[in-house]
Amino acid sequence: MLVERDKPKRYEGSPQRLRALMIGLLALYSILAFRLWDLQIIHGDKYAEASNENRLHFERLEAPRGIIYGRTEDVVLADTQPACDIMFVPADCRESDRERVAHRLARLLAINADDLLAKIEQYRKKPFTQLPVKQNVSKTELARVEEYSFELPGVYTSVRPLRRYHYGEVAGQVLGYIGEINQEEIEARGQAFKMGDLIGRMGVEQMYDPILRGRDGQLCVVIYNQSEPQLRTDELGRPVVQTDSLGRRLHQELEFSRDPVPGKSLTLTLDIGLQAKCEELLGTERGAIVVLAADTGEVLAIASTPRYDPGVFVRTGYGHERKALLEARPSPMRNRAFQEHFAPGSIFKVAMAIGGLEEGVISEHSSFGCDGYFYLPGVGRPWKCWRYKYGGHGHPDIVDALAYSCDEYFYNVGIKLGIDNINKWAEMLGLGIVTGLDVPPGSEEKGLVPSTEWKKAEFAGAVDPWERKWYPGETVNVSIGQGQVTVTPLQAAVMMAAVVNGGNRVRPYLNKTVGPDLTPLPISDQTLELVTRGLRKCVEKTERPSAGTGVEARIPDMVVLGKTGTAQVVRFKHYDNEMDIPYDERDHAWFVAGVPEEEPPIAVCVLIEHGLHGSSAAAPITKEVIEYFYSHLPADLRLAKGAEDGP
Amino acid sequence: MSQIARDLNLMDSHIRIVNWRNLRHLDWILVILVGALAYMGLSNMYSASYGYEGADSTPHFVRQALFLGIGTVFALIIVCIDYRFLVALAPLTYAAAILALLAVLAVGLTVKGGRSWFRVGTFGFQPSEFAKLATIFMLAWYLSRIGPRIRKFQYLLLAFAIAGVPSALIAAQSDAGTALTYVPVVFVMVFVAGCRKRHLAAIVLLGASLVPLAWMQLEPYQRDRVKTFVDPTKAPDSEGYQIIQTKIAVGSGEMWGKGVGQGTQTHLRFLPEYRTDFIFSLLAEERGFVGGVILLALFAGFLIRGLVLSEECREPAGNLLAAGCVAILAFHVFVNVAITIHLMPITGLPLPFLSYGGSFYLTTMMCVGTMLSVNVRKGMFAEK
Repeated sequence: MLVERDKPKRYEGSPQRLRALMIGLLALYSILAFRLWDLQIIHGDKYAEASNENRLHFERLEAPRGIIYGRTEDVVLADTQPACDIMFVPADCRESDRERVAHRLARLLAINADDLLAKIEQYRKKPFTQLPVKQNVSKTELARVEEYSFELPGVYTSVRPLRRYHYGEVAGQVLGYIGEINQEEIEARGQAFKMGDLIGRMGVEQMYDPILRGRDGQLCVVIYNQSEPQLRTDELGRPVVQTDSLGRRLHQELEFSRDPVPGKSLTLTLDIGLQAKCEELLGTERGAIVVLAADTGEVLAIASTPRYDPGVFVRTGYGHERKALLEARPSPMRNRAFQEHFAPGSIFKVAMAIGGLEEGVISEHSSFGCDGYFYLPGVGRPWKCWRYKYGGHGHPDIVDALAYSCDEYFYNVGIKLGIDNINKWAEMLGLGIVTGLDVPPGSEEKGLVPSTEWKKAEFAGAVDPWERKWYPGETVNVSIGQGQVTVTPLQAAVMMAAVVNGGNRVRPYLNKTVGPDLTPLPISDQTLELVTRGLRKCVEKTERPSAGTGVEARIPDMVVLGKTGTAQVVRFKHYDNEMDIPYDERDHAWFVAGVPEEEPPIAVCVLIEHGLHGSSAAAPITKEVIEYFYSHLPADLRLAKGAEDGP
Repeated sequence: MSQIARDLNLMDSHIRIVNWRNLRHLDWILVILVGALAYMGLSNMYSASYGYEGADSTPHFVRQALFLGIGTVFALIIVCIDYRFLVALAPLTYAAAILALLAVLAVGLTVKGGRSWFRVGTFGFQPSEFAKLATIFMLAWYLSRIGPRIRKFQYLLLAFAIAGVPSALIAAQSDAGTALTYVPVVFVMVFVAGCRKRHLAAIVLLGASLVPLAWMQLEPYQRDRVKTFVDPTKAPDSEGYQIIQTKIAVGSGEMWGKGVGQGTQTHLRFLPEYRTDFIFSLLAEERGFVGGVILLALFAGFLIRGLVLSEECREPAGNLLAAGCVAILAFHVFVNVAITIHLMPITGLPLPFLSYGGSFYLTTMMCVGTMLSVNVRKGMFAEK
């Protein structure tokens, strides 16, 4: 309880100060009144005139998105064309007219009037909603609607750009698609983006979005009596700008209009014919095919199945298909050539051979006896060579070890090299590291070539120190591309390209203007010659019983290097007949190939998931890929070849 | 409740906290002015909802009338509660408001670039509106307690800190306009509380010297707003366009206006946001200079009446409360109209009684209720 004298008293000068505030307030508000006088009375007629003329309204002009070409500009992979939609705005049509309009539209556009009326009823509370009547109408339908437009109040046409993917599913995962930007993306990208903007998603569309997208413009349009902006369009549905006799834009339109800056076009390295062929060859199998120009790293084909049509995401009315695609497993939207990684199996022996020869643990004449069983000191169970049933490979040298894919030879090479040398050479050749393909950041899978460092880091949390230690037995597994090692088909192709082009690691690329980026590797000519000989023999030694494992890829009169791979998948049970093995437990079939002496030289990698054997499943496909490529060279490569063959 | 009041050590035990009979002693001049403003606001909103283009998809007019009704109920409740009780609770409400602002910063929804909304049911609720009133009450509590000590600079600084905290939190939600409303509130309240004028002058000078620093702190879009204000034709596609169009709207109203429901600038949708921040354009276009000046005169009359009520109250908290409420509403009116007629850069402040929106209408009516509440109790402090 406060005593009376402690009771707070107000400041005695308060009334004077409040009066000062009143005067200040009146002064400030007088400024507003004077400004109103200035605007409305002194300059009123000027603004009234401006308001009368003010029948212009802004309309956004979407910049046409850049075209994506194949290797040459006569091959259009993706472009943008205007698509016309017919819309109905109930608020602009009297209630009593709506049924008549709906029936009229039904006749003109071959739609169901009751559906439309039901939709109008559904949006009764939101009469300003633009209800789609029919999307992507033909020119004749558009002409019919415009002809009767006086009898169709509330009916509008709206033009929007429609992205078209001319090859459908072919190269779908490479191209990606475009979609409306969402709220998080706007926040992440900032001011330049607005709701309704279309941005590239996945693949080339996403990677090169800044190049392809261009910049939106705007156009002032005249408002007609219906208080709705009318975009003046030409016969193709493109917005037009009024110009005077000299071609200058009329003043009032010039003031606030801005031309859209069209997106730049993009030319890819993709040979769309070859890409289509590869996808056709994969057929219903799950797998991937990569074809690289070995000298440059140009991606000629990068096929993956299952596949999808990006057009599903840009056309209207494919909601179910979209959802199904997004939920499908394995996802047809992933490109298995670089977004999935697999145990490489015997194709890894190419890297082993190069590493072994360069580190000097083997030489041209080194030979290891192969009786089908390989023992490590202190380990009771032997590692088998795949030919153990037939008594092994005898005494192969490096050439034969590659040609016949002798496991035991490479077990020995692996033990002599040690895991860290294996890691060094494999990564040098592009395995277990990102290749740098120009795809959206983070979308390329890295794979793994283990090392002692890796194991230490990977099992850093392990309780027992032995879990962090690397064991020779693991090295033995890695030596033939099993165990922890995984690679992507694209990486395998990069490795082969290095063998073909004389020891340079290429960075694969899809956008032609990126250009080659070669990393010379410290590999001697002798090593390359030996490995080439082995890989050639693998394909060319046809005489049985000791034929190469890759003879199915042999092409008469063409030098083809090849290496098979059959990567074991974890299997829970032994099966006597391999066709009894469930699909998911079947081995992956690999084949890597190189064509060094044709123009252009190429490197190929074929992976058939769960295809059982590289020699029987992947090698024949490789052969068809190579044959197709050289018999259907794309125009620009044909020209280059012609120039070289000439005088 | 009297027990609480006694425990709060503020009031004599015989004072009733809630007294419904107070409703009989309302200041009728203020009530009539508020009624006139509310009428102008509603008829203007009617035009905004039903003019020219026919029926509207959402009946803004109906909802605005509902907001007025709810606001009136709140105002009457406030009149019946002894404002000194509310002042005694001010530290609590102020702390709650600060917490709410912090919560908004953490989880609030984003509306038009500013994070300032909580969504409760279908209505959005803005803690920044609640914080405005809580801060006025807190300042009244603080200034009435320290009394003449306000003449010491450190006490004055503390008053600025009380307003500064919510202001900074709201600025952090990138709502610069609302953050600025605290500035006139604290200036007017410490001025009425009797601070030294030279202290205020020093603070103004300090503030002015910080302007370049503040300029650096502004977000790019806020800087653009100021640049656009200087030359609207530089950005004719966004806010420059808005400025050009609002000037055309106001100017083309001329002396008598185009008539209710006939404003082409607004109804033909040249002017965005004509129901909220640019509602004065609609009024000026349809009712001309006469209508605009009448509205300004009503506002000036209402605000001056508020200051008179403040003057009539000899109890310091009431005296300050009424002045604070006037300050905040006067600032909204001035800035909103000044933006509309291109005297200030766009900041996005609503116009009391006219702009569409529930939260702010409620704040406005609670300010009105506070002024009336101060007035009905002035007899208790009349000098003997």
